[in-house]
Amino acid sequence: MTTPLNTHIQAATTEPRWIRYLLISLTLIFLTLFLLLPLIAVFTQALQEGINVYLTALIEPDALAAIRLTLITAIIAVPLNLFFGIAAAWAIAKFDFKGKSILLTLIDLPFAVSPVIAGLIFVLLFGLQGWLGPWLSAQNFQIIFAVPGIVLATVFITFPFVARELIPLLQAQGKEEEEAAIVLGANGWQTFWRITLPNMKWGLLYGVILCNARAMGEFGAVSVVSGHIRGLTNTMPLHVEILYNEYNFAAAFAVASLLALLALVTLILKTIVEWRVHQLS
Amino acid sequence: MFLKKHTVLPGFHLALGFTILYLSLVVLIPLSTVFLKAATLSWEEFGNAVLAPRVLASYRLTFGASLLAALLNAFFGLLVAWVLVRYSFFGKRIIDAIIDLPFALPTAVAGISLTAIYAGNGWVGQYLEPLGIKVAFTPLGIVVALTFIGLPFVVRTVQPILQDLEMEVEEAAASLGATRWQTFTFVILPNLWPALLTGFALAFARGLGEYGSVVFIAGNMPMVSEIVPLLIITKLEQYDYKGAAAIAVVMLIASFILLLVINILQWWSSRRYS
Amino acid sequence: MSIEIKNINKTFNKFDALKNVSLTVPDGQLVALLGPSGCGKTTLLRIVAGLEVADSGSILFHGEDATSQHVRDRRVGFVFQHYALFRHLTVFENVAFGLRVRPRKQRPSPTEIKKRVDDLLKLIQLQDLADRYPRQLSGGQRQRVALARALAVEPKVLLLDEPFGALDTKVRKELRRWLRRLHETMHITSVFVTHDQEEAMEVADLVVVMNEGRIEQVGTPDEIYENPVNPFVYQFIGHVNLFHGRLNTGQVRIGELDITLDPHTEVQMAPVVAYVRPHELEISRTSEDVAIAVTVSSIHLLGPMVHLELLPKDSSEVLEAELTKEHYRQLNLQKGDKVFVKPRKMRLFMGGK
Repeated sequence: MTTPLNTHIQAATTEPRWIRYLLISLTLIFLTLFLLLPLIAVFTQALQEGINVYLTALIEPDALAAIRLTLITAIIAVPLNLFFGIAAAWAIAKFDFKGKSILLTLIDLPFAVSPVIAGLIFVLLFGLQGWLGPWLSAQNFQIIFAVPGIVLATVFITFPFVARELIPLLQAQGKEEEEAAIVLGANGWQTFWRITLPNMKWGLLYGVILCNARAMGEFGAVSVVSGHIRGLTNTMPLHVEILYNEYNFAAAFAVASLLALLALVTLILKTIVEWRVHQLS
Repeated sequence: MFLKKHTVLPGFHLALGFTILYLSLVVLIPLSTVFLKAATLSWEEFGNAVLAPRVLASYRLTFGASLLAALLNAFFGLLVAWVLVRYSFFGKRIIDAIIDLPFALPTAVAGISLTAIYAGNGWVGQYLEPLGIKVAFTPLGIVVALTFIGLPFVVRTVQPILQDLEMEVEEAAASLGATRWQTFTFVILPNLWPALLTGFALAFARGLGEYGSVVFIAGNMPMVSEIVPLLIITKLEQYDYKGAAAIAVVMLIASFILLLVINILQWWSSRRYS
Repeated sequence: MSIEIKNINKTFNKFDALKNVSLTVPDGQLVALLGPSGCGKTTLLRIVAGLEVADSGSILFHGEDATSQHVRDRRVGFVFQHYALFRHLTVFENVAFGLRVRPRKQRPSPTEIKKRVDDLLKLIQLQDLADRYPRQLSGGQRQRVALARALAVEPKVLLLDEPFGALDTKVRKELRRWLRRLHETMHITSVFVTHDQEEAMEVADLVVVMNEGRIEQVGTPDEIYENPVNPFVYQFIGHVNLFHGRLNTGQVRIGELDITLDPHTEVQMAPVVAYVRPHELEISRTSEDVAIAVTVSSIHLLGPMVHLELLPKDSSEVLEAELTKEHYRQLNLQKGDKVFVKPRKMRLFMGGK
């Protein structure tokens, strides 16, 4: 006599097959409705009137001006916040000082502020009715409804990104390697360039990728300070809005598809970096 | 001056000095203008600005829609995290990568795309309309947009905790006679609470301030589907800077309280898991 | 190169980590700083290195004041507890680091660096792993790389913080012997921190026992073991049995046991504690004039030695005894046997309960 195999007995820490399939299906339906369809819709809507309309929408002067302004904004905002992130991470992760947790909370502050309010504060500061507005206009220097305002609002919105990635990373790495370098005769710069920077390069890249995505895609804050002057103070997201409000949907989605591509590239880079870091550890 | 302990590493004062200077110039000083501007109002004016019926309606809408979206995300976020950690299926790695899409996709793009899908003639809207469910240009549309925006928060806070949960604890529960459901509710869920609440609070806070994705789908009818950030912009366009600042102060205070709650939750969470 | 430590004090947040510590490390010696965790040994080592700054006191290298010298200029080799290897650099580059960061004028040529590093890698027997990264090495290999890296800059003194702390027992023993041999060939003044008394005794020329920020005793391993100056050192170095008793005009009374002593004759009825090492307890089947009656409560055979736990009739405190297997066989001991013990040697310290 052989005993029958108990194939129907399942492991103690998993669910019955039908529950697993149910949960997986629910997840996939939810993610399809809320993530996949919106992503696919951007591209299908962009191409609904054919490739010619699509390309025309991308190379018309206003679109090119918007692309240029978006790039300029990111090129200024990202390095500024990168530099800040490195300085903040060095101070916070490698040293013990009073008020560290307050400083950390303050760095997070822009995450908690609505983009619209982020725009508002710069209007209140530099607008014609603002504190520095009259003085600025006397100097014939415009910030609000001009490029500097867009850059400032973007810098505010993307302020914490790099610092937020680097601080925990550097804290986890400790400071023994830096101490070892100093004992071996390295000076401060050598220690930073040869030890600290190589150790944080992946975290840095990760922070820069996220910071850049937000800088190029920011809408609310930029919308408040831009003034929406076509060809001059329109970034790509603002250009999308204008086209959309003019019922020029195909063109709006065409420009939007560029931003969606940027998002996809961001996700791919992010996944690669995570994979690299996972491999290294 | 701040340093608590000697160290041989150089550059502390330079790095901290720059950090504080930059933080002040970019964040603290600009942010203070809202409070200073609002302070130029008398109490009565301030009250009128922040308690007008249209403003109250927008609070109700913003907080209500954010709460609903955050609850939806808490439920589905837990589900997604569970499925991603515990089960293997085709395309799992791609799904895992795409969870962060709402962080990467510009909000305006999300806004117009969701509107296209959920409008009466859209891919999803066309099936909902006959059932009497209108999504786009109604408060329901706002909930949909905020659910999209807040989706990654719960997943990304719960996922690592679930990953680090020891299987042995569940095996112990099973060996003591617990059913799978009992194990989940009495053993697994209590461990996830802090992370789940943190994710929920983060999604809620994000929803309160969200503008880009909502304006396209909301319809923006005063008293019905006008969110607070939009109201602030309307006030600005009418050159009512003081009124805009007053409403902004209310929203900032709400955000700061939430930030505090989130910090406490994270502290609780780190204490529990360390 | 000798190291002189003079009156060092160090406080962390109102906690006195070091209290007026003075010590001389003679030229070319291998010295162990031994003590329980939190005794200040690592802090002292870091102060000698220049990684911490003392609140007061001075450090002299070869008679020259180095107190205000930066770590970079002290020319010390420091081996960190968790090695602190540069994780993004290969073994070769880790060892070469100290040479590569020298100011251009003092920097050796690339071929010279290559030769120096290769020699060091040969010394630590890792020449085949020169292109590996730290994460690809075992704990013992990382330890050796850390040592080679410290030696590459030709330090005048070598400082090691718990050098074998993170390794398993077998690798520890090998590395200990290896460090000892290395020291014998290089004769570089070395100080290492450890909490493991066996390690200190086996490796060091000189052992410094520390406790609660103070130095309790300095001596050769043999001196420390044979003549501990106080109860702390006695208890920290090896196992020990405690007997509480009273000293009265030259007589010590421990339980029913009377022992006659010569000195202290003028002392009247003072409490004393007698310390007896397990191997200093003599066991016999028959009662003699001065002996304590005990019951054998457990027997452990550990290689050539036998470890006994003995329960005295009149107290609940278990005594530990150690004897050779040979002697154990002669006595033919069984669990539950009633036997008699007598200290062959004991050391008395005043005080106690």
